[in-house]
Amino acid sequence: MKSRKNAIFTCAMAGAVLLVGVSAGLAHAQPIKVGASLSLTGTYAKPGQYQREGYELCAEEASARGGVLGKKVEFVVYDDQSTPATGVKLYERLITEDKVDAVMGPYSSPISEAVANVTEKYKKVMVAPLAATTSIFKRPPGKERRYIFMVVSPAEVYLEGLIDIAAKRGLKTVAILNEDTLFAKASAAGTADLAKKRGMQVVFQEAYPKGNTDFSAMLVKVKAANPDVVAASTYFDDAVAIVRQMKELNVNPKMLGVTVGGDLPEFYDLLKQNAEYIYGASQWETALPYPGQRDFVESYKRKFGREPAYHAAAGYGGCLVYLEAVKRAGSLESDKVRAELLRLEWKTAFGEYKVDQDGFQTAHKMVLFQWQDGKKVTVWPDDLAAGAKVRYPTPPWTQR
Amino acid sequence: MTVITPTMIGQVVISGLLAGSLYAMVALGLGLIFGVMRVLNVAHGPILMLGAYVTFWLFSTVGLNPYLSLLVSMPLLFALGVLLQRTLVRRVVDAPELSSLLLTFGLSIAIVNLAQLGFTSDLRAVEFMTGSFVLGPFAFSKSRVIACLFAVAITTGAFLFLQKTRVGKAIRAVSQSREVAQVCGIDVQSIHMLAFGLASALAAAGGSLVAVMVAIQPEMGAIYTFKSFLVIVLGGAGNYPGALLGGLLLGLVEQLASLFLTTQVNEAVAYILLVVVLLVRPTGILGGRAS
Repeated sequence: MKSRKNAIFTCAMAGAVLLVGVSAGLAHAQPIKVGASLSLTGTYAKPGQYQREGYELCAEEASARGGVLGKKVEFVVYDDQSTPATGVKLYERLITEDKVDAVMGPYSSPISEAVANVTEKYKKVMVAPLAATTSIFKRPPGKERRYIFMVVSPAEVYLEGLIDIAAKRGLKTVAILNEDTLFAKASAAGTADLAKKRGMQVVFQEAYPKGNTDFSAMLVKVKAANPDVVAASTYFDDAVAIVRQMKELNVNPKMLGVTVGGDLPEFYDLLKQNAEYIYGASQWETALPYPGQRDFVESYKRKFGREPAYHAAAGYGGCLVYLEAVKRAGSLESDKVRAELLRLEWKTAFGEYKVDQDGFQTAHKMVLFQWQDGKKVTVWPDDLAAGAKVRYPTPPWTQR
Repeated sequence: MTVITPTMIGQVVISGLLAGSLYAMVALGLGLIFGVMRVLNVAHGPILMLGAYVTFWLFSTVGLNPYLSLLVSMPLLFALGVLLQRTLVRRVVDAPELSSLLLTFGLSIAIVNLAQLGFTSDLRAVEFMTGSFVLGPFAFSKSRVIACLFAVAITTGAFLFLQKTRVGKAIRAVSQSREVAQVCGIDVQSIHMLAFGLASALAAAGGSLVAVMVAIQPEMGAIYTFKSFLVIVLGGAGNYPGALLGGLLLGLVEQLASLFLTTQVNEAVAYILLVVVLLVRPTGILGGRAS
């Protein structure tokens, strides 16, 4: 039974293994092998593949530029099929059998959470570019993690921009809606805190189950509460359904913002002109004034034939951060690299990087965009908005 | 927190009835299969999903009005239903219930995965009609009102068919007692195929109608399978008017629970209602067929 299981496992590995080869001519030194499991199949397949492309591009460019510590950089990537348990097995394998020199994080919070236990056990530094859940990094006393580092902004600050703009314009009340799942709950709670800190009143807050399609009763209550701002912690289907039903029930806040889903081109395809004026949160956009961003977007487009999504940019940026720390440490040794990662303050094509003592990201900025004439226009923070104007207030549905 | 006014209740009752009429139509299909064959069709929701895709493809390729696409999606999935019954489902009609559950469960996984392969998991939508008709203080969502009208028409049609026509009577006869029907000269095999086809067409109609309201993706059908189960158990399994009552009741309960409690608990409330009904009236509100 066990041998059969092993055989299947090995077979799956053989099929899934992907050695990202690099052509630069640093043949004399053994390359630095960086291991990672990514979701190449299953529910997270799409973002997982984007992240791999980011890693790939980063390794390729680093090697072409003369490598790190005089060595080429190579990725060893396995497919975790979007399941945490497989991810755990794969990191064990990468560290104990393949004996990779370093590891990088997998896609998604749940898988990062699971594999962090493995990397901690072997004291391996892991920069986890696509883990946005605070609890992975902020741990109860005695259970702290020393070797994991965060790259993206946490769920709690996704709608900071919406609240900031609202507060500056003197808006007083906000209604918060969220899907009843880990990430959306954290983001709704964070939005409520931010609003209270800015002296705004949360007049309505309610969660709905995943897969909910009819929001009328909830929106009837929102309408009765008559908030200045509606902030929704959504994924995608729910964001679309909420907007449609707000129109149907003529719910007219001065600002409407959504967390996830609003940034996809499909959001506008589905809602057309009804998506106008809506604000959305994003970790990254293709037209931000970050160093090296234009080059990244160009080489990504050349290599993969399409615009990079933020998952690719985060993978790319996270990989750059790790390699930079290795360069500064002059070594691959975990504790030395860790010390550098804790000290590092840096800007990549993905934006700022700086972490606190828990490896928790404190510098990366979310951006807030608004759909204007079918385009996502970055309107916050001011230094990234490049003078773009907010279309405010959102006119009532009947006057559009 | 929020003061609930009669207007709000009125608005929510409207939404509940609009949603309920769709549940009723889709659940009638599931009830039909169960009534006639004693097969619980877990693939009912995935068939609804296929109906939604038919509408989407016709709308995005040739710009066909989504409501006209009912004329394509219903016959197409009627045919698929007949085919499924003829090739697969008929093998488990007399088998223990677990076999038919396993079969339709497998079928459902296969349909969803094939759809993921063929259509990808990308979210699609038919952007056809947004906004609402306003009547005094109440808003009637355009897409939902039209869906409700179609659902009522189609359900009424299905009822008249079951009540008035010879074939409809034969279907009811088979669902009352297959042996006696057979003795009376009814071709039970054809009736089974017809019932499965009809049920699939009802699911397809549901799919085409919700296509205008929600995002279309391969896994969208599952919730309709569950809601349909709930509806037919509430109304009385195998009791066709019961499915109607159950559907409307489910729509209302969900919305009123969302209004008076929170949206989070609306499903829980629906299932609690189910438990209560099963305790008080195990055969459903209108009474199911004794087995």
